[in-house]
Amino acid sequence: MKQIIVPGEMVSQSQARMDNTYVEGGKTYSKVMGLYDEEHKGIIPLEGPWKPRIDDAVIGIIAEEKNKVYEVDIGFFGRTLLIVGKFDRESYKVGDVIEATIKDVEDRKTIILTMARPLEGGTVLMVKPAKVPRVIGKANTMVRQISEAAKTMIIVGMNGMIWMRGGNVALATAAIKKIEAEAHISGLTERIKLMLEQNNKGN
Amino acid sequence: MASENKPELVIDGKRTDGRNFNQMRPFTIKANVIKNAEGSCYVEWGNNKILAAVYGPKEVMPRHMMEPDRAIIKCRYAMAPFSSLSDHGRTGPNRRAIEISKVIREVFENVVMLREYPASEIDIFIEVLQGDGGTRAAGITAAAVALANAGIQMRDLPYAISVGRIGEHIAIDFNMIEDNFSDSDMPMAFAPRNNEILLLQMDGGLDRAQVSKAIQMAIDAGAEISKAQRDALKEVYSNNTSGV
Amino acid sequence: MRSRRYTATTRVVFDMDAIDVVKTNYVKELLLKNTREDLRQFMQFRKTSIVTGTMQNAEGSAQVDMGSTRVLCGIKMTVEEPMRDTPSQGNMMVSAELLPLASPDYETGPPSPDAIELARVVDRGIRAANSIDLKSLFIEEGKVWSVFIDLYVLNYDGNLFDACTLAAMAALMSAKVPAVVEGVANREDRSKPLKIDTVVTSTTFGKIGNSILLDLDRSEEKASEGRITIAIDDANIRAMQKGLRGGFTKEEVEKLMDVAFERRAELKRLLEQSAK
Repeated sequence: MKQIIVPGEMVSQSQARMDNTYVEGGKTYSKVMGLYDEEHKGIIPLEGPWKPRIDDAVIGIIAEEKNKVYEVDIGFFGRTLLIVGKFDRESYKVGDVIEATIKDVEDRKTIILTMARPLEGGTVLMVKPAKVPRVIGKANTMVRQISEAAKTMIIVGMNGMIWMRGGNVALATAAIKKIEAEAHISGLTERIKLMLEQNNKGN
Repeated sequence: MASENKPELVIDGKRTDGRNFNQMRPFTIKANVIKNAEGSCYVEWGNNKILAAVYGPKEVMPRHMMEPDRAIIKCRYAMAPFSSLSDHGRTGPNRRAIEISKVIREVFENVVMLREYPASEIDIFIEVLQGDGGTRAAGITAAAVALANAGIQMRDLPYAISVGRIGEHIAIDFNMIEDNFSDSDMPMAFAPRNNEILLLQMDGGLDRAQVSKAIQMAIDAGAEISKAQRDALKEVYSNNTSGV
Repeated sequence: MRSRRYTATTRVVFDMDAIDVVKTNYVKELLLKNTREDLRQFMQFRKTSIVTGTMQNAEGSAQVDMGSTRVLCGIKMTVEEPMRDTPSQGNMMVSAELLPLASPDYETGPPSPDAIELARVVDRGIRAANSIDLKSLFIEEGKVWSVFIDLYVLNYDGNLFDACTLAAMAALMSAKVPAVVEGVANREDRSKPLKIDTVVTSTTFGKIGNSILLDLDRSEEKASEGRITIAIDDANIRAMQKGLRGGFTKEEVEKLMDVAFERRAELKRLLEQSAK
């Protein structure tokens, strides 16, 4: 059973070690607006800025370059840097889209990226990071379903940036936006399946 | 205000709009209303119509204001030039609005977990589209919902209400007329978990017993306001809505 | 709805954020294939709705949603002295605020040149068409009504010019004049409609490469080099404004004037429905 919980609401009368909570006076309270899973004793934030983790794959856009150190826009409020090494691609220019992995997070405000590769053409869509898991689906099922139906290449970054190219990008965008808007309403998988099927019939 | 034209604020034991002294005006709270914002909230409180929105955490501008270990909060409270029943107002915040912006900011500097977002800024905007007394209280109540809607971590969800004195009566939630002609007005904001007072302003004249009574009245009204805030947030995720 | 982070270089080189560079390239790519991101025709408006009378303290009000762009217009009327050179008619004043809550692009502060241009262009269309019967605003010698038209942008997704003109017209068409008692406004009695003689509609076009589009959303505006707003009444052009650096040919302007008249009917219909 999951229920919606808001900041300041008590989740436990005793000290509990749980993400997104804090302890005061021996009791545990929620720090965020989220879904409280009583069974698994955890809080899933429903919204909120993305929390970068090492090894997360992200989509980013080169914003500035200085001495082979690139500042990358990944929608993160701190600094995001890509340091090009010997085995990486030579150089990027401002406006290039890349897929990269988080190597390190310093002091929660500087992200270091590694293993970058360029993505040519296409466009970038932004969704709320909290919805990314739903867009990807269990074992990538959701994103694959959309990609096949729209015949679009899609790469989803954990930071909420999604790169798409080719095929029916408008359809892929609509499906992803629908997931973002309706992630909390049960039966989403069916509705997306229906939307994709109807659209293909029309072609 | 000149007291020559002072209207009757109490008629047959009731207030100008028929309320009892411990009665708040009817209100509605709706979250997630501005598409571009990270979080937002629209409140109608009596005749007040107030929009609150949150942006951030984002890069601090100008850079010299940045705090390396925590977020800074910026708050703008302003009234639309068409917000009052009297003449056209000036555009942009005046001195009153700037002071209100500051005390509201201080409420959220208390509850927001600033250290979660180092070297960033969180912007809170409160726009009074229509005002009828108690706008800073309704604005704080709305801004708290907007912050939660944005997923910003907070230790609590604050609410605010104002209480004042009309003659010998302590009354809650003044409308504009009461605001202008009452004997004392005291807006307050609370962190509901332990009823900690996060905003307190007062002018006029109250004895100590009246101050205590006013604070208690505000705390007693809090449960209803907090519930409406929670319901507004839960509504965003109900099966009936798909958000903005 | 994301708070963008920009760096000095992207701003200087492209005058926009990094992600806007990507979106601009994409918009242009789509135009080469004759499509727009939301699959609209080049000269088609987004879904538009108008609601009037939402702000009861104001003498008139209207909220327009044009796609995701949302604008609120409030009308306030105040008894004032007339201007020296027009002693027997009232005044009108338009102002616009790009509220910082409407977009991560907007900052707090005094009105930007964009906000001022927006207000002045909307003003020009309404004033040149004599939309408001300014003579009907005369009260008595030394006293006239001043009509303040305030545009509040609540959510920005392109084409503020048309959304604002529409909101201003809708608010004016449903506005009520307060009674005057002993030379002072009495807002307890607001039964007399404001006299509106003409309906003004506006169409704003943007040029991206060789394509000209109507009603650009934010991504399209970022990608555009030139912009032109054309405000008309039933028979005449009442105001025009070319914006941004790009230019338009005489033939293009002639064609766009035709489109302005073609699109007028649907805008007028929306206004007439909202005034009921």
